[in-house]
Amino acid sequence: MAQTEAAAGEPRGAKAALSRIFKAEELGILLVLIGLVVIVALIKPVFVSQANLINILRAAAFPFIIAIAMTYVFIGGQFDLSVGPIVALGGVASGMMVIHGGVPVPLAVIGTLILGAGIGFTSGFLVAVFAIPALIVTLGMLYAVRGVVLILTKGQPVYPLPPEFTIMGQGTLGPLPYPVVIGIVLAIFAHLVLKHTTYGRNVFAMGGNKETARLAGVRITRLTISVFMLTGMAAALAGMLSAARFSSATSNAGTGMELLVIASVIIGGTSLFGGAGSILGTAIGTLMMTVIKNAMVILRIDVYWQDLVVGIVIIAAVGLDQLRRRRVGL
Amino acid sequence: MTPALQMTNVTKRYGAVVALEDVSLDVRPGEILGLCGENGAGKSTLMKCLSGSIYARDFDGEIALGGEVVRFGSTLEAERAGIEMIYQEVSLHLDLSIAENIYLGRMPTRGAGLIDWPAVYRGAREALAMVGLELNPRATVRGLSTSQQQMIAIARSVIRGPKILVLDEPTSALTATEADKLFKILHNLRDRGVACIYISHKMDEVFALCDRITVLRDGRFVATHKVADVATDQVIADMVGRQLDALYVHNAPMPGRELLRLEDIDVRHPTRADRLLVEGASLTLRAGEIVGLFGLVGAGRSELMSAVFDGSYRQTGRRQGRVFVRGDEVVIRSPADAINHQIAMLTEDRKVSGFVGTMNITRNITLAALNRVARGGVIDGGAERSLAHDLATRLSLKAAGLRASVLSLSGGNQQKVVLSKWLASEPQILILDEPTRGIDVGAKAEIYRLMSELANKGLGIILISSEMPELLAMSDRVVVLGEGRVQGTFDRAEITQDKLLQAASGQPGVAA
Repeated sequence: MAQTEAAAGEPRGAKAALSRIFKAEELGILLVLIGLVVIVALIKPVFVSQANLINILRAAAFPFIIAIAMTYVFIGGQFDLSVGPIVALGGVASGMMVIHGGVPVPLAVIGTLILGAGIGFTSGFLVAVFAIPALIVTLGMLYAVRGVVLILTKGQPVYPLPPEFTIMGQGTLGPLPYPVVIGIVLAIFAHLVLKHTTYGRNVFAMGGNKETARLAGVRITRLTISVFMLTGMAAALAGMLSAARFSSATSNAGTGMELLVIASVIIGGTSLFGGAGSILGTAIGTLMMTVIKNAMVILRIDVYWQDLVVGIVIIAAVGLDQLRRRRVGL
Repeated sequence: MTPALQMTNVTKRYGAVVALEDVSLDVRPGEILGLCGENGAGKSTLMKCLSGSIYARDFDGEIALGGEVVRFGSTLEAERAGIEMIYQEVSLHLDLSIAENIYLGRMPTRGAGLIDWPAVYRGAREALAMVGLELNPRATVRGLSTSQQQMIAIARSVIRGPKILVLDEPTSALTATEADKLFKILHNLRDRGVACIYISHKMDEVFALCDRITVLRDGRFVATHKVADVATDQVIADMVGRQLDALYVHNAPMPGRELLRLEDIDVRHPTRADRLLVEGASLTLRAGEIVGLFGLVGAGRSELMSAVFDGSYRQTGRRQGRVFVRGDEVVIRSPADAINHQIAMLTEDRKVSGFVGTMNITRNITLAALNRVARGGVIDGGAERSLAHDLATRLSLKAAGLRASVLSLSGGNQQKVVLSKWLASEPQILILDEPTRGIDVGAKAEIYRLMSELANKGLGIILISSEMPELLAMSDRVVVLGEGRVQGTFDRAEITQDKLLQAASGQPGVAA
């Protein structure tokens, strides 16, 4: 049988391995990232000092934790604009529980995660059951949650956070800050779930073709709600870690975070249309965004130029990747 | 006489796939040319070249109208040159009025861009009279039946005064009376010198209506016959390229125990909330049996089975339809429930609801059976690959490896992937909706062989098909839907094309 031979004869050997690497989804953007790092390092060697590299990783950790969950949302063919204010709410709610409510830190952390999941549940429910477009639901949620934060805090920061709390953001494991460690652990876990479980597979199927997935027995409503719960929890977690890092929870934390996260995921090659993407790509995409900002500081480029450069890089990175995909026939 | 239309050596490739190779045909003024061929023979592709939906620069060959070579860069250019297409699937704007639909894109104006509404309604009334519909031209199209919509699409094309009129399976949504009306209109057009191309699977229509018949097979020209000089069998042999008996395999086994029984199933109308598309449908399927489900386009065959499969039969708000699986009443809330009851449904449009284009072949095959290759939610890669491999082998899937994208496959192989997906779920009740649509003859024969093999193993199969020969050859019984109801059930021995068509048009045959 022709097919049997072909299936057995998947390309092997060094040449084939090389060709698989070249076809790997994440390659294009990885090359751009490496190129960027090399160029900046040649101009300013301090860019690759350990201290600065740790800085970059720590800055990347907060958006990355959310971007991991956002990758699931995108692969599932959905969209979540509401994570920025949930970051603020995560910090503020946990901080208030600990400072004003006297709640033990572990309980406050769990409670805040449940709160984040609840917000995600609400968005997902509105999207899946009432068929309101995700863009609209989460845009509304973006305003509503920010409003809740302002009502709770009246614009005042929540502090001082006790050391049992701040250690989450300030402690280190070896040279790595805790947020970085948490990000790495979550990324590995999320990658494994995405690649090797029925849950991950169903997310891909739903994003690739919702109707086919539904008829194949995938519970679309539950699955949709679940991916929004992931971003809600991830944003709440990032909010707590960031408040812990700065010893204070502010009502304007996470401003613009939703766009940073979305940009990172898209640069990492995850499809806006659903059905394709990876955690590895998202890791590279998030690093890319952080490296650009950090490099501009190191190179003493006027801060007013930053957004312009970021915008150009986003379009260039995705454009280059599209070109490469067309050439290798992906 | 100069032909009204001359297509010469038309060749169209999609990547490596050749859809048309060196096809030529001609139609004279005042002639009706029948265009015949199996699904996938290239009829539609050829007509797309003519209608401008495939641009002239994207295919090779030449098209001449009245001796003058034309190169269409859009469908608009083809329309301006006097080419009108009538498709099987009606494409009207549901929320516009009948008159607006008829004049869409070329409303008569009184200068300054103002629409001349009196002229619009006058013209629309004339068009309606021509096709024998007594309807208010201001009514929206949404409320009309599929066959009325088809007649309006025909009226729209005819009043534009085409030089060349192409009809693609126009009667598959029409009742017998309406079809007769259409034939009268076509005879009238022929007498006025219009050249028509008539595409149909229904041999009796083609022979009654056409002057000549051109047959295509696998993208190639086979023959052109004068209707007066040729017999039906010859045309069918030309279409199929082999003996029909060799194509269909079905040795009816003794039907076993009852697998599925539907009682009083209602189906909601897709576009009108206040109506039912199907009312009180009942049918029974036994082990080892292939039950055909026949009806005109729009009769609700697919919708009936989908409603059962995805549980929407429970949401019609009226009577409570009942579903029995292996004798026990079950409640199906979702496709997942149906799959748990060992029901599988291959849908009509594999691209829309059959496969996931972003997934490779293996993942498509295991999609509905993931829990069979997973433990505690973790997929066993080896078990998954071997399940996919087994099914691919069993269905002789031709692919460059099972990691290849499902999009890289031919239509027939894509269909095999979708079938594999459902077989992987180990169903006992298999619903097949147009399983051979748009696939080549070879793959068709394999699917027929597989169907009878499955039936012999004790599965029950419900076959929804618009292809009469297929339905007649494969079914042990045929249930006919028409006018929103089950019009009759016919045993294999008593099935004839006429009986089925009559019943489908709402003239009850043998009572169920």
